[in-house]
Amino acid sequence: MSIEPVSLTAGLSAILPAATPAVDGFLPPATVQQPAPGFGDMVTRGIDSVNDTLVKADNEVRQVAAGGGPSLHEVMIHLEEARLSFQLLAQVRNRLLDAYQEVMRMQV
Amino acid sequence: MDYRAAFQISAAGMAAEKLRLDVTALNLANMHAAGTSAEQVYRPQRVVTQTVSFSQQFGQLAGAMAGVQTTVVLQNVAPRMVYEPGHPYANAKGMVAYPGVDNVTEMVTLNTALRAYEANVTAMNAARTMAARALDIGGQQ
Repeated sequence: MSIEPVSLTAGLSAILPAATPAVDGFLPPATVQQPAPGFGDMVTRGIDSVNDTLVKADNEVRQVAAGGGPSLHEVMIHLEEARLSFQLLAQVRNRLLDAYQEVMRMQV
Repeated sequence: MDYRAAFQISAAGMAAEKLRLDVTALNLANMHAAGTSAEQVYRPQRVVTQTVSFSQQFGQLAGAMAGVQTTVVLQNVAPRMVYEPGHPYANAKGMVAYPGVDNVTEMVTLNTALRAYEANVTAMNAARTMAARALDIGGQQ
């Protein structure tokens, strides 16, 4: 799943001519830049990395249950890391929702 | 997350103490294993831990396991000679060679390793609690 960042400039680049010849005495028109990776990308990457951590911890638990794998404390520490990163994700989501609701409450 | 560094430090300590416990258990297990001759008898081992230099450690904090280097070395102790004439491994004088494992030292090492391991776990839990508290910032208004 990926969230497309909302970009106003992407539509503009189709309207604006690609390159206008510079006129004497005037600065050349500013070229439209590609939008920077948006907030949606950042959130998606965060979710992906949290998911990776969870899957890794899950695999290690499986290995230990099967009688092999890394040492016990390594697995427990990785589980804790996974839990913490998930808690971080949940907190980010809470703050995001708070901000959204704050905006929705705004009088227009 | 930078708390992973704290976890990795504790993990390195725990791994070192676990190795110490394993080696001590090995020494205790072989305490009564007689050797056919004084040269062939089991030699007790010891874990030697060594800190990595601070700058090196600091550079590696984010990455791999850093902090403690462990090596297992053989102790140079004389075998314990016991007079047991009927033993199949007894020499001409009726002496049997047993490993020179010092029971008291091994037990103290065992306890020390256990306590140090617990201390590492406590440090890791403290780091985790701190991280969880940091995540509480601004929550519940």
